[in-house]
Amino acid sequence: MDAKVSILSVRGVTKRFGGITANRGITFDVAAGELVGIIGPNGAGKSTLFECISGFYAPDEGEVELDGTRLTGLSPDLVCRRGIARTFQRLRPFQGMTVAENVMVGALTRTRDVRHAREQAHEWLRRVGLLEKANAHARTLSTGQRKRLELARALATQPRVVLLDEVTGGVDQRSIPALVELVRELHAGGLTLLVIEHNMRVVTAVAQRIVALHMGEVIADGTPDAVARSPKVVEAYLGQAYVS
Amino acid sequence: MRPYAGAIAFFAAVGLAPLVVDDAFLLDTLVLILVWGCAAGAWNIAGGYAGQISLGHSAFFGLGAYAAALCGVRWNISPWYGLAIGAAVATAAGAVIGFLSNRLRGPYFVIATIAVSQVLLLGAARWRGFTAGSEGIPVPFRAGFWTLGIADKRIWVWIVLVLALAVYLVQLYLERSRRGFQLAAVREDEDAALSLGVRARRLKVAAIAASAALTAVCGALWAQYIGFVDPLYVFSVDLSVRFSLAAIIGGLGTALGPFLGAVLVTTVETWLRAEFGGLGSHLVGLYLILYGTALILMVRYAPQGLMGWMRK
Repeated sequence: MDAKVSILSVRGVTKRFGGITANRGITFDVAAGELVGIIGPNGAGKSTLFECISGFYAPDEGEVELDGTRLTGLSPDLVCRRGIARTFQRLRPFQGMTVAENVMVGALTRTRDVRHAREQAHEWLRRVGLLEKANAHARTLSTGQRKRLELARALATQPRVVLLDEVTGGVDQRSIPALVELVRELHAGGLTLLVIEHNMRVVTAVAQRIVALHMGEVIADGTPDAVARSPKVVEAYLGQAYVS
Repeated sequence: MRPYAGAIAFFAAVGLAPLVVDDAFLLDTLVLILVWGCAAGAWNIAGGYAGQISLGHSAFFGLGAYAAALCGVRWNISPWYGLAIGAAVATAAGAVIGFLSNRLRGPYFVIATIAVSQVLLLGAARWRGFTAGSEGIPVPFRAGFWTLGIADKRIWVWIVLVLALAVYLVQLYLERSRRGFQLAAVREDEDAALSLGVRARRLKVAAIAASAALTAVCGALWAQYIGFVDPLYVFSVDLSVRFSLAAIIGGLGTALGPFLGAVLVTTVETWLRAEFGGLGSHLVGLYLILYGTALILMVRYAPQGLMGWMRK
């Protein structure tokens, strides 16, 4: 960690909804090129944290910084322009548009040229293995394909950090290995990723480091092995850590 | 060229019609078809391309109509200035409504747009000293192009045709440009668009403002053509419904659709008025029933509008 430069830093982020504190003083760093997994039982505050980082929620306290510049208080579109892209847990493709057009919307954030954006969209679709669907309507895709589409769309904005919310959630078992492989490939290509994942087997397979949340707080932060052995984590999951 | 074949045929037919048709009734219908087509196309920019359904677009139409009329009556200057003033005022009003669209979604936005048009209706109907109140305001006829006092309906067809082409091209721009793709993304899912760096709020405000400005231009030309501005008509919900209906029947978010929708709506209405205008004038209200029936049939059998139905 010391040798690497932190690219994304979350400092004391707190988010309350009325009497409920969804995130309490969350602090951690992500180094350039790192793949960090975020785990935690339902309601631990993982998604709220993503919303705070991507600008959909403004944290009540704390700061999010990308490469030393503050992101806190910026609207989601500006956060994306600064270099953070995200996917959604509940998939939200632009249903009425073709697959390629979906990705073009992302590309058009970085280029004014529609033709150029179309070329880039096809290139991203090729990389996520969805090129043959380029002209299909987004609503015709399977869940696994939609996950790939969301990924391509986010990548087309040329992010420095990508937030992935449940890449394998809702996907049938047979499609999971290919998705995991895709995330690995992107990471190997130098991308920095922050990944929320329910599936412990998936997250320990891809993440270099894991941040565990429980009741809105960080209860462990370290290598997958260390986090999985942490008594607090085992307790939070009631010993079910490896069952799922 | 093929995707534009329909549009080229439509606009060419309209442009050439005055050379062969000299029946005043037919030419009048043609001018009105074009005016309502332009207004429906302008509405389509907000309602179709940006997905912001408004039932208060008569507000902008009325602003344009009053601006043109008042320029002639109160200040004795060219209605062309009125057209520009109306467009500018409508742009500002559109920006305000666009801002509302960032706060209010779905039905709440629709209600807000209706409210704006009704507030303007009351304002125009009560401000007797300036707008002449609910009696309405006759537009002075001073012959000449600069004063837009033109008796020859053929010239009117060509004047409105220029506006129609402009509205069509703006819509075409929204189908293939960067901003068009971004606006479509906002329409489909605003949060997802935001997450991809689309300046959603700004785009929506700009689209509604542009839509408002073009609607005001329609109102200004219409006022000069008809020669009388009645607040109860130009700010009516009826008119707003007509714009949206023509666009929906023609095909939401298609460039030519609103014009085809206007052909249908205007023809049906003109026919009804001719059929029941005299003795059975109480039956003119039938057009509302026909509108409703047409809408139900469209939604059931051609939800993509005439354009979608023709593509099949």
